[in-house]
Amino acid sequence: MKTKWLLPLLAIAGFLFASYTVVNGSKPTPVAPAVAEPAFAPYKAFIAGAGIVEAQSQNIAIGTPLPGIVKSVAVKVGDQVKTGDVLFVLDEREHRAVLGVKKADLSKALADVKVADASLADARSLLKIAESVTDRRAISTEELLKRRNAVLIAKAKLQSANAFVQQTNAGITDTQTTLDRLVIRAPVDSEVLQVNVRPGEFAQAGALSTPLLVLGNLDQFHVRVDIDENDAWRFDKNSKAVAYLRGNRQFKAELTLAYVEPYVIPKKSLTGDSTERVDTRVLQALYRFNRDQIPIYVGQQMDVFIEAQDVSNTSNNESQLKPAGPQS
Amino acid sequence: MYHIALKMLMGDRGKYLGIVMGLTFASLIMTQQPAIFLGLMTRTFSFISDVGLPDIWVMDSKVQFVDDIKPLQDTELYRVRGISGVEWAMPMYKGMLKARLADGTFQTCIVIGLDDATLIGGPPVMLQGKLEDLRRSDAVIVDIDGAKDKLAKPSATPGGKTKPLQIGDDLELNDRRAIVVGMSKVSRTFQAQPVVYTTYSRAKNYAPRERKLLSFVLVKAKKGQDLAQLTKRIRETTGLAAYTSSEFKDLTYRYFMKNTGIPINFGISVTLGFIVGAAIAGQTFYNFTLENLRQFGVLKAMGTSNWVLLKMILLQAILVGSIGYGLGVGLTALFGYSMRNTILAFRFPWQLLIFSGAGISLICVFAAIISILKVIRLEPAVVFKG
Amino acid sequence: MESNTAVSCRNVVKVYDTGGQKVTALNDIDLEIRMGELMMLVGPSGCGKTTLISVIAGILDQDEGSCEVFGKNLLTLRNHEKLDFRAKNIGFVFQAYNLLPSLTAAENVSVPLIINGMKRVEAERKASQLLEQVGLGERTASLPSQLSGGQQQRVAIARALVHDPRLIVCDEPTSALDHETGHTVMELLKDVALHKDRVLVIVTHDARIFNFADRIAAMDDGHILKVVNSAAQL
Repeated sequence: MKTKWLLPLLAIAGFLFASYTVVNGSKPTPVAPAVAEPAFAPYKAFIAGAGIVEAQSQNIAIGTPLPGIVKSVAVKVGDQVKTGDVLFVLDEREHRAVLGVKKADLSKALADVKVADASLADARSLLKIAESVTDRRAISTEELLKRRNAVLIAKAKLQSANAFVQQTNAGITDTQTTLDRLVIRAPVDSEVLQVNVRPGEFAQAGALSTPLLVLGNLDQFHVRVDIDENDAWRFDKNSKAVAYLRGNRQFKAELTLAYVEPYVIPKKSLTGDSTERVDTRVLQALYRFNRDQIPIYVGQQMDVFIEAQDVSNTSNNESQLKPAGPQS
Repeated sequence: MYHIALKMLMGDRGKYLGIVMGLTFASLIMTQQPAIFLGLMTRTFSFISDVGLPDIWVMDSKVQFVDDIKPLQDTELYRVRGISGVEWAMPMYKGMLKARLADGTFQTCIVIGLDDATLIGGPPVMLQGKLEDLRRSDAVIVDIDGAKDKLAKPSATPGGKTKPLQIGDDLELNDRRAIVVGMSKVSRTFQAQPVVYTTYSRAKNYAPRERKLLSFVLVKAKKGQDLAQLTKRIRETTGLAAYTSSEFKDLTYRYFMKNTGIPINFGISVTLGFIVGAAIAGQTFYNFTLENLRQFGVLKAMGTSNWVLLKMILLQAILVGSIGYGLGVGLTALFGYSMRNTILAFRFPWQLLIFSGAGISLICVFAAIISILKVIRLEPAVVFKG
Repeated sequence: MESNTAVSCRNVVKVYDTGGQKVTALNDIDLEIRMGELMMLVGPSGCGKTTLISVIAGILDQDEGSCEVFGKNLLTLRNHEKLDFRAKNIGFVFQAYNLLPSLTAAENVSVPLIINGMKRVEAERKASQLLEQVGLGERTASLPSQLSGGQQQRVAIARALVHDPRLIVCDEPTSALDHETGHTVMELLKDVALHKDRVLVIVTHDARIFNFADRIAAMDDGHILKVVNSAAQL
């Protein structure tokens, strides 16, 4: 009796276990949830692009007219600066020394002027004495001529000395200007966004990949949107646009178009990686938004969606394909 | 009469066990071999299953299967994003990179770069650490199997046991430092390489310099969006290939079916299992009927109709078939269960239950039919022959 | 008169075709068996007696002639009618007992009842009663392999009786048994099985049991040589 049921029971157990394995094994693989909800477009048809936030003034990369070692940095990141405020100062010792030399030259020149002045007075007085002698025999014509010439020479020397003073003065002014140029000042009222120089560092003149200092006007932000050249024809200046903060789609900002840079440029680094490849050309549109809407910083990336006409059924309705991009 | 049929069947315990064992064996082979086969084939697209969140995968139109990476330009991501019906689209990098281990050996790893902000496409199960930890600098998440085995640290003493990679350990990926911040459990892949997860931009730094690095664009369709239409739209708009997850799995699966010998090998062993099982079980069952022919003759002489005899034999066949089937699939499940933590590929979907059930039914029907023919042709007069 | 005749065979011919060679097993057999008698068919091996009871029991169709059993010509019956007829009217006792080895004695006995559509429990109860009658009340749950030859044959007889058939055919019921057991079995058949509404046809070449017969038909080469009333007349 026992054996009679043993096999069927074992078989039922086996089948149940197999079914359990099947049910257990057919559970779908757990899905890793998104760490942050991705941004999605609120429009039916749209152009998507990556945007980078910049100050309305655009970001001013401050350069230096002269290369040199940085002596002191007068501002720190976040400082509000007024036009003319000192940003940083380069080492000016060499130029100061030159100024000292030039000032000494000036003293000497001034002294030379005095010497020339005295010589002229001397020559004049000697001439006066000679001219006051009425007896032609008492003084030869030659002597008289000599004394007149001496006066002329002394005059010319005085002039030369004066000219040298002027030259020396000009040299001093030049050096002072140079000294002034070693002090880098804010060109506009703005906020310091980035400081990449520290005292002791060498500041290179010219356009740098990493600017020494970045200033910007943060009253209003612009977001610079790269639109793929393939999508550029769909872009409409008048359509609505919205930007989402990367990492949290709760933060979004309505955008209004500021302007479009009509020249399609090679795509530049947007991710901040200098080695990011230039692989396509993009149309850049700049949008304005109120910085109070979202907590955002200049340089941050945003996901931008621009409403566009629906091209989902392009194949059967060509008339929909009115170019929207380069409007009058 | 059915009671009599069952008694007849189980009365001869040796034969009964023989038939049942034959069928168990057949059912075991017909279930276990396809289960391993399916397991292997599932591994070919396990990566697609693991990335469960997106509905659609967009890639170069020449991609043949999931490991056949033909990278795209970064801007394709935005083109895809701009297609209506797309809720979101995220970049993903997938590539094979060499990791240098502490002892200087190299190990090829599958490096997955996830979208920096959302980290969509991450490993299905995190065992240690959190996916968010990827936002730390140089952070990578390593799969536990790889960490225990291929990426394990060599032991301090030569010949000793290796130590599994742990959180905080570092790796060198393409000359760059990578810090392990988490352990994940991923479905094993076909090549069984360790899987290293990191962010997209970091993956681009690890990857050798190429003009294009975007492997896939992962797309989530808007609610109510017809996926077939959306994939068609993506294809038409971008010129790229767009597959739903299941289409992409099919593509990968078909590639392996077509280009590897795996299906043939397993097809042969399944067929052999079927034939051997059918031979053993059919033969034993037929023998059993032959030996009981006299008894069937007695029943026939006593007035049992062919139809009743047929039903009796069918019942016997069904019983041994069911028992053999139950035991076979049970043993298969047991096999799978005991091997669950090994590298053995094993997958047991409900279709397989039906498949082996059909196979066993076929064997039983076959065995029953030849037995029944014998019994129907039987002259009851045989009972008087000594 | 008619009602008194249980089996009536007229000019029955049966030819076996074994590999091109025709063997005439029954050649123009005429036989009448009356109700309530015990008829023995005797003769050497191959004389056709087994073929004859096969024809009488309706498990073999004759080639020529007619054979009426209880007024029914089996040849004219349809297949299922014939089965039904067999199931209701005929009991079998075999030389080799032919009990189902996996069934207990009671279960074996209950088989004809079950074939006739009786419920298993009821059938087994009835089978047990009958087994008691044949003196095997203790062994109802035994398997055939646990019983002696005589006991097995008694079980077989009980099986032949259980559904109360009108015709019981026995094929060499005693040949596998020793003299004493064979005697007991025959007594059982004669005492328990035979009554006025039943016919027993016993095929045997065991001369020791000829005395139990009411009539004996001696056969050879497919012919009935003679039908006698006692063994002494052979």
